Amino acid sequence: MKKVLVVDDDVDFCEATKLLLDSKGYDVVLAHDGKEGLEKMRGEGPDLVILDVMMPEMNGYDVCVVIKADPALKKTPVILLTAVDQNLFKTTYTQAMGLMTEADDYMAKPVEPQDLVKRVENWLNKD
Amino acid sequence: MLIKPSINILVVENDITILQKCRELLVNEGHRVRTAESVEEALHIIQKHPGDVDIMLLSLELPGWGGLTLINVLQKARREILIMTMSANCGEEAIEAMHAGAYDCIRKSFTADRFWTKINRAIEAFRLRRQLGVLTRQRQAALTEVGHHENLSAILQSLTDGLVVTDWQTNIVLFNSKAASLFDLTREKALGHPISACIQSDELLSFFMRAIKSDSSLAPLMAGEEPIVKVGDKALRVHVDPVKNETDTAIGAVCMFHDVTSVSAMDKLRDDFLSMVSHELKAPLSSLLMQISVVLDGLAGELSAKQSDLLGKAKEKTKGMITLVNDILDYRRIQEGKSIQKIANLDLGEILKRTVELMRLSAEEKGIAMTCEIAEALPSFAGDRGGMEAVFVNLISNAIKYTPQGGNVNVTLNKAGKDIRFKVVDSGMGIPTEDTDRIFEKFYRIKTEQTRSISGSGLGLSIVKGVVDAHRGSIRAESEVGKGTTFFISLPVEK
Repeated sequence: MKKVLVVDDDVDFCEATKLLLDSKGYDVVLAHDGKEGLEKMRGEGPDLVILDVMMPEMNGYDVCVVIKADPALKKTPVILLTAVDQNLFKTTYTQAMGLMTEADDYMAKPVEPQDLVKRVENWLNKD
Repeated sequence: MLIKPSINILVVENDITILQKCRELLVNEGHRVRTAESVEEALHIIQKHPGDVDIMLLSLELPGWGGLTLINVLQKARREILIMTMSANCGEEAIEAMHAGAYDCIRKSFTADRFWTKINRAIEAFRLRRQLGVLTRQRQAALTEVGHHENLSAILQSLTDGLVVTDWQTNIVLFNSKAASLFDLTREKALGHPISACIQSDELLSFFMRAIKSDSSLAPLMAGEEPIVKVGDKALRVHVDPVKNETDTAIGAVCMFHDVTSVSAMDKLRDDFLSMVSHELKAPLSSLLMQISVVLDGLAGELSAKQSDLLGKAKEKTKGMITLVNDILDYRRIQEGKSIQKIANLDLGEILKRTVELMRLSAEEKGIAMTCEIAEALPSFAGDRGGMEAVFVNLISNAIKYTPQGGNVNVTLNKAGKDIRFKVVDSGMGIPTEDTDRIFEKFYRIKTEQTRSISGSGLGLSIVKGVVDAHRGSIRAESEVGKGTTFFISLPVEK
């Protein structure tokens, strides 16, 4: 069973997402801030990370930079989620697209549940 | 009677009879005459008395070094000397001499009348040339002297905005005390030195160059909102204009600097506030949408038909809220799309390639085949990176959005004449003819059964058009309902 780590400070979003991905046959692990996200990343060894950008203390960009700088973690695909600008405009767009963070993918919040499922399937069926 | 100042004339001729005849005619009219019998002797005189030869009467039938050689040498070294040639019949050799820079040719069998007609014209031409030289030097001097006028200088010093004036070669000729404190200028460091050496900003330098060239492409930049240039830790609103003399020639450029460092801190505060609001509104809506969807899909227990119906309506309302929030935040995008922010040399092929890569996944998810052809070796394009990215992202994402599953989207970028052409072809639902004129208007959305389910603010194309216009380009759409739509953009490389 493929394991997906969801990192978001919004507990309601995390739980609903877990229900959704559970139903599609994934093993879902949750983390509610950046630090916990990195711990779970190392302890659970997920196949994919869904990472919210706007979190208190350590934000998603920072978490992503740490993941991509760690040889043991960097192969795990990271999908960034951000509510900042849905229209991929200007700096937010280039930044989030991972020029700085090397994130593998990007989705604008609010995410359509079917879109999220499709995107997750897309990444996990690559190998 | 008007006494004209005499002219210094050098006659170069080895036929003594003609030499004497020329000298006699010229001296009688009060001109100063020197003579030489060979090219070598002539060169010797010119070198020994520089500035003492205005016009040279040169035989084209000298032995040894020909007169033509002398013309070529003088054209390189001493262009201010006007050369009249003399030859037996003013044939091929005279024409060749005129190509090399000689003014005219006199037949050696001249009469006094014929001689004076030609010589007086040459003198007139020489005076005009000298006048032009003086005017050119004045053009430079006029601006340098402006700063010395005391009253004017006092006025300039008391301005609250910074002011810098350069000559036509972008050397600083004048600045006021506000400019001095903004850029840490001193008279020694700045006056007579190129502006690029005193104020570190390529952007600013390009404004000056374009003002001096009176480049019309400066107009959209300077119209309406003036650009803000960052110099060090300061944000400056700049306005550059050419300084023109009475004949409408640009002899320099004048720039006003308004310090907006504090205002731009406010702008940043506003942006921060907007992204905060954006997050605070969208994050809970995001949760709400996810929760409703999960319950609606039966993942939290089975639902009755009535419950599904109610929840379905709640989900639609939530989506409506999301669209509304996005539209409100889009106001910021209109502002950004309105003017060119920052001009840089762009590799449009590279930007497009990157954009297409980013959009590929969403095309694949919809089962749309996307192709992209980018011509090799496209010239670099002077434009605003953010703006051009917005153009590509908006047009390609629209094409994907309005094309049904199994359709095609083809993107091409190439060069036609002096323009870079960008084309997006889709096999989507198409645009009704009556709407094609209005699609570039703000908030305009085509309302049909098919578009109802597609969310959008109706701003994307107006932003695209705004950016294309600001780059002096053009955009048009060709469409057939049910067959697809093609957007054509043409961007001039040279402005």
